[in-house]
Amino acid sequence: MASIRIEGVTKRFGNVVAVDDLDLEIHDKEFLVLLGPSGCGKSTTLNIIAGLEDMNEGNIYFDDQIVNFLPPHRRDVAMVFQSYALYPHKSVYDNIAFGLRMRRFNRQEIDRLVKHAADRLEISHLLQRRPHELSGGQRQRVALGRAIVRQPAVFLMDEPLSNLDAALRVSMRAEIKRLHQTMQTTFVYVTHDQAEALTLADRIVVLKDGVAQQTGTPDDIYQRPCSMFVASFLGSPQMNFLRGSLKKEGDRVLFCRGGFSLDFPSAMARKLVGHAGQEVVLGIRPEDVDERTNSPTANCLHGRVNFTLSIGSDQYLSVQAEGVELFFRVGRDTRCADGDSVAIAVATDRLHVFDKETTQSLLW
Amino acid sequence: MLAKGGSKHARWKLRLSGWTRLAVIFLFSVVLAGYVLGPFVWLASSSIQNEREIISVPPHWVPEDPTLLNFKAIFLAQRKGVTYETRTQADPVSGGYIPSTAKNLLPSLWNSLIVAVSVVVLNLVVGIPAAYAMAKIRFRGRSTSIYFMLSTRVIPDIVLVVPFFLFISRLGLLDNVLSLIITYLAITVPFTVFILMSYFESLPDELDKAARVDGCSRFQTLTLVFLPLALPSVAAIVLFSFLTSWNEFLLALMFTQTIASQTMPIVIASFTSDFTISFSFINAAGVVAVVPPVLLAVVFERYIVSGMTAGAVKG
Repeated sequence: MASIRIEGVTKRFGNVVAVDDLDLEIHDKEFLVLLGPSGCGKSTTLNIIAGLEDMNEGNIYFDDQIVNFLPPHRRDVAMVFQSYALYPHKSVYDNIAFGLRMRRFNRQEIDRLVKHAADRLEISHLLQRRPHELSGGQRQRVALGRAIVRQPAVFLMDEPLSNLDAALRVSMRAEIKRLHQTMQTTFVYVTHDQAEALTLADRIVVLKDGVAQQTGTPDDIYQRPCSMFVASFLGSPQMNFLRGSLKKEGDRVLFCRGGFSLDFPSAMARKLVGHAGQEVVLGIRPEDVDERTNSPTANCLHGRVNFTLSIGSDQYLSVQAEGVELFFRVGRDTRCADGDSVAIAVATDRLHVFDKETTQSLLW
Repeated sequence: MLAKGGSKHARWKLRLSGWTRLAVIFLFSVVLAGYVLGPFVWLASSSIQNEREIISVPPHWVPEDPTLLNFKAIFLAQRKGVTYETRTQADPVSGGYIPSTAKNLLPSLWNSLIVAVSVVVLNLVVGIPAAYAMAKIRFRGRSTSIYFMLSTRVIPDIVLVVPFFLFISRLGLLDNVLSLIITYLAITVPFTVFILMSYFESLPDELDKAARVDGCSRFQTLTLVFLPLALPSVAAIVLFSFLTSWNEFLLALMFTQTIASQTMPIVIASFTSDFTISFSFINAAGVVAVVPPVLLAVVFERYIVSGMTAGAVKG
């Protein structure tokens, strides 16, 4: 159990800044997810926390104790890697026991802990096998076993599920969530998969080019993204973006694009009134649809269906409207054929508005 | 029926082409084996022939009158001084003739062993940590040092002879086995580091990180995780550095003058510049000279091929 404080951490590889002046507070027993695209500095941040990478500037504290110069084995952290990183020449038992042996646990204690961890992960029957004799999922369980057996203060996971197939990924996700609940330990989890981040995290940090873009709960980040980058990174299909301008008409603030205009609810209008006349980008999540109707009403986008994609429970509509292709999620009972004219009523209370130049949200 | 007959014909054709293929492979294998093993078989066979039989035409691949006198001569040469006056006491044609430098053979074998074993051990001591550092630790000047080290291997040895000689001479190590150990290390260590570095680089960085998080220092990561995985490469390096040191002639010829430091290739070569050349004795000495490398190769045989190609292809 430990809280971690990252203060002004910067890491450079030659001229490339991998992590740029990062400040972060990770609470005790929290499940924090570092989310971002490849090369955003999330793995580097994790390595810095583990002590595997030196930083150029800044400080790292574990429970208010500065650990900048502590080597990894003295930080009481365990790490799980995307490639599992099992020792190929050792059996599953020896892989799990290795960390305990390095810490000079006695033989009986090692045996008890290894078997306990193996039971917990249901890999007891694999203990004598070598890593190359295991499937991907089994290997990942062994890697988890190697991490949990030491009962470390901090768990670090570097895209641990990326090498697994989709079904296994979902079940292992639940397994990791359960582990966090039972172990009551701080977890720091790196992923580029927004679904993993949204399902696992207590809090998410979205990183881009080594800079933390937004930190918050999954709901917070999904519903109130601070920028177009964050808005587009979370959600699948990603948020629809529509360029246009803001107009003030009496008390009302309207989004206008060609013949299409949209009336913001009063709470939003109050925040946007200062930006009237400005070029903006409107963000609409595919699922933020009120209803589908053929009769034009207010706040409706009119367009033509390009194609539909069924995903079983729902279906996605690709709609050509206002000169751009937009995606919407509608119920599976909605019947529409390719080429149909549709009017999509958007849920105006769940709209997002971004500055066209800075790409930052105007609703913050 | 037609289809059946056709398929039968095709099957025969296929089988024939299979046999032809096998025959060609077999033929080439025999030719290659003959080419590689021929000299070695002749060396072994002639080492137990007397001088008369060796020079007989056609040569006897299987000795008609095998004798161990040549080997006996090697081990007795120590006690039997051979001088200009006594050299005619033995008949060079019937065998038993011993070159004047024969007594140097066993001491030179010992020198060769000292040099080769020292070079092997020091190669491992220096090469393994260096290769690990270059493969897994980022430090300033890393790639420069790798290129610098490798560039030393594109220079022919003959170019280095004079600088090496001056260097060794200034150190006062002429006619000392240390001179050979030092220069052979300069030749073999870059290759050792290169082979091991390629192998270590092919192992995922996560393995290094996992070991360090599990509680290993850098040195423990190397010895407990990387080294056991690199055993085939290490075996290849042991063989390579041993054979290079064992066979080296040019530098040994330059730096050694007496039996205090002369290695086996120098002493065996000296037998050909004697009053009379005894092929039977030289061949027996040759057999003694190939025993240690052959033993080493047999011990490490299963590692050699995988070690030499390790790291060449990332799996």
